[in-house]
Amino acid sequence: MGQIKYQLPPEEVLAPGHFACPGCGATLTMRYALKALGRKTVAVIPACCWSVIDGPVPYSAAGVPVFHTAFETAASTACGVKAGLDAQGDHETTVLAFAGDGGTFDIGLQALSGAAERNEDIVYICYDNEAYMNTGIQRSSATPFGAWTTTTPTESPKAEKKKNIVEILAAHRVPYIATASVAYPDDMISKIRKAKDIRGFKFIHVFSPCPPGWKFEPEDSIKISRMAIESKVFPLIEIFDGTDYRLSKEPEGIPVHDYIKMQGRFRHLDDEKIGLIQKNVDEEWARLCSKIVPAMQVSHAARDEMKGGRKSSRARGARGTGSAKKKEQSARR
Amino acid sequence: MTKYNYATVEEMPPLAFSLESTRMIPTGSWRHVRPVYRDKNSPCHVTCPAGEKIPAYFELVRQKKYEEAWYKILEDNPLPGVTGRVCYHPCEGQCNRAGYDGAVAIHNIERFVADRNLQNKKLPAAVESPKSEKVAVIGSGPAGLSCAYQLSRMGYRAVIYESDHEPGGMLRYGIPDYRLPKKILDKEIKDIETLGVEIMVDSRIGGNVAWSELERYDAVFVAVGAARSKKMETPGEELKGVYSGIDFLRELNTGKVPKIGRNVLVVGGGNTAIDAARSAMRLGKRVTVLYRRTRAEMPAVPEEIEEAEKEGVLFQFLVAPVGISGNKGKVSGIELVKMKLGEPDESGRKRPVPVKGSNFSLKADTIISAIGEEPDLAFLPYSFLKKGIRLFVDDDYTTGVPGIFAGGDAATNPNGTVVNAIMAGKEAAISIHEFLGWRSRSNGASHDVVAPEEVNTFYFPHENRVEVPRQTVQKSKSTFSEVNKTLTEEQALTEAERCFTCGTCLHCDVCMTFCPDVAISKDESGEYVIDYDHCKGCGICVEECPRGAMELVPEGARETAEEVKTA
Repeated sequence: MGQIKYQLPPEEVLAPGHFACPGCGATLTMRYALKALGRKTVAVIPACCWSVIDGPVPYSAAGVPVFHTAFETAASTACGVKAGLDAQGDHETTVLAFAGDGGTFDIGLQALSGAAERNEDIVYICYDNEAYMNTGIQRSSATPFGAWTTTTPTESPKAEKKKNIVEILAAHRVPYIATASVAYPDDMISKIRKAKDIRGFKFIHVFSPCPPGWKFEPEDSIKISRMAIESKVFPLIEIFDGTDYRLSKEPEGIPVHDYIKMQGRFRHLDDEKIGLIQKNVDEEWARLCSKIVPAMQVSHAARDEMKGGRKSSRARGARGTGSAKKKEQSARR
Repeated sequence: MTKYNYATVEEMPPLAFSLESTRMIPTGSWRHVRPVYRDKNSPCHVTCPAGEKIPAYFELVRQKKYEEAWYKILEDNPLPGVTGRVCYHPCEGQCNRAGYDGAVAIHNIERFVADRNLQNKKLPAAVESPKSEKVAVIGSGPAGLSCAYQLSRMGYRAVIYESDHEPGGMLRYGIPDYRLPKKILDKEIKDIETLGVEIMVDSRIGGNVAWSELERYDAVFVAVGAARSKKMETPGEELKGVYSGIDFLRELNTGKVPKIGRNVLVVGGGNTAIDAARSAMRLGKRVTVLYRRTRAEMPAVPEEIEEAEKEGVLFQFLVAPVGISGNKGKVSGIELVKMKLGEPDESGRKRPVPVKGSNFSLKADTIISAIGEEPDLAFLPYSFLKKGIRLFVDDDYTTGVPGIFAGGDAATNPNGTVVNAIMAGKEAAISIHEFLGWRSRSNGASHDVVAPEEVNTFYFPHENRVEVPRQTVQKSKSTFSEVNKTLTEEQALTEAERCFTCGTCLHCDVCMTFCPDVAISKDESGEYVIDYDHCKGCGICVEECPRGAMELVPEGARETAEEVKTA
């Protein structure tokens, strides 16, 4: 077996010299997204960290045309760009809406819902750093329960749970929804490539840690992302047509406590509060499994048949490299 | 650039647009720590007395370059087939994988590489140009062989004087066939000779060869080992049926079958005792090992003790002999006293103290005494400084007499193992090289060792340690054929894949994959280049490096970092 290695597309579309903070998850998300989509892409970016990261006029880091647009309009502007390209007879260029959680979960939700309902042919990537980081760490509806932000200080940390954006999108029955993490770049890239090839509305929800906003050392960005997956806080899944759920990576199931303790934004939480978070994670996980399991069983039975009754292992292929899984999916289409 | 370099705001078009890349912006100025690639030592490498470059030859094994892997080992140890079988492998004890899912089977991989090259006669060439100086080595055990071999690689003429009829010392006469077959030893000694080392057998210094013969050499290395069994100093030791462990093994190893009785008692707890006991077992005898401390204090290799037990050797702990009884000049039994453990002695082990009035007797036909060995130094013409029974040598293996060096079991600081003798030979060779007026090359390697927490175990899925193929106990009990077998190629490759390769960059691209600043790339030769104009020093590359081959150094301390590198 040996060491886990990643085979990423070699071309670097994203340029260095951008204005992201050290250890930025959103920047890695863009780097991987552009590796997956290539240069024939137009990005639409609403107000978010990436408005700054891309660089000051006359500089741009993205390496592809970027349309900076108003906070609530990422999805609608992207639809307009797509329509413009179509009018010119260009049906190949991918239009990418690239927004933060504020511009997706809160301010841009209406435009997002509209574009999803119309099944517009765009890729919408939400890099979720769980607060309005660019403007100074204000809470958003993506901020998790118990987290500190400048608007939910430690005396009264956020009392509400994180909004489940993926379920909202699933309810629109769009062709493809996936969650991804910067700690599993091969998984993320294969999902974005898949999204590129599917016609209609595609939504990718990416877990993007923010060292200054979450209060951890920048070198731990990947480690924390990995722990979010392994503790089931952020499951890696795919949803086809809003109904067919697939699990991309079976988490190890480490305690949520380990993940929480890495971050200063949760420092004020006592064991009781952390227990509540664990309970919520477990419930959400059970709910998710109830949707996934039948599909898993089907796919496992199919795989077992294919391999002559070999004992199935969920862990196999869970890192997004399972060829059996890919075959299945291409067969589906 | 100039085209869009507007002088005033009025000159700009109504819609702001950017056509230049941020590559122009030196965001590296934000950095206060800088990542650097810095190979560090693996714990196995620093623990190996011979200093074998384990991560390096493991990488060659993974690439199936078995010949190159062999050459890599030969840089430090001319006897990998021997140590791959009999070394006590302290490397595995320090392996960073030990606390994760079991140490890597380094010992078995070494043996695999050596055995893979059993037919290979293409030896690596000497590393330095031939020199006019000649060096004599007394003794062809592991220390002598290692020293002569290293001197030969450095371009010297090395001549070994061996008092026995065949070279190898204790490797030949002290280790039974079931642990080390003679053909392996013969092959590796032959290789050393091929390299240019001359071995004069049947040449006992102070016997048929006068010490004055050595005066024509520019330096002498004394490596006569410790080949004489210590006396038990108990009445009855001269009786027929009392053997010393060394003599018993020597007879076996020269093809004779010692005449021993049915009921054999072995006194001692070291490797010689265990070797003697297991050998007697193979001759079909009932064997009991008597040891004055407990199993935990036994100096023998634990695996050897376990194997002896499996084969049916009995053990009796906390007993010491006080007398041997005889009948018509022949051994009939032994009188023992029970012991208890007291305060720790200078070796750190608890001192055994006799329990008064606890004497008892055991019946025996043969008693093998293996309570330790000592060097025979009577042949030396000068009065050398000694410490106890051994020659006193400094850290550089000098004896105090200019030009005469000593090492191995004959000198101080040994632990009586093959690999320590190999180390002594290698280091003494470097000392002799310097004595002869040359400057030895410092390899400039870092002294830092990768700690277990520096390994990013995420990248290494759990994988069990290889099961070493073994002969069945039933078969082992009755023959002298080898107990442990060589790994198959498949096993060796799987096991080599388990190695974390601590501290040595394998160009796995993890650093490059996770850089948010797109500041790491590869040059034409495949080496990583960090673009310090843009690296913001987040440290993800260092944190994610699977094997601790990178580190963060404070910015502005550039010189210091360079100094550390060259120190």
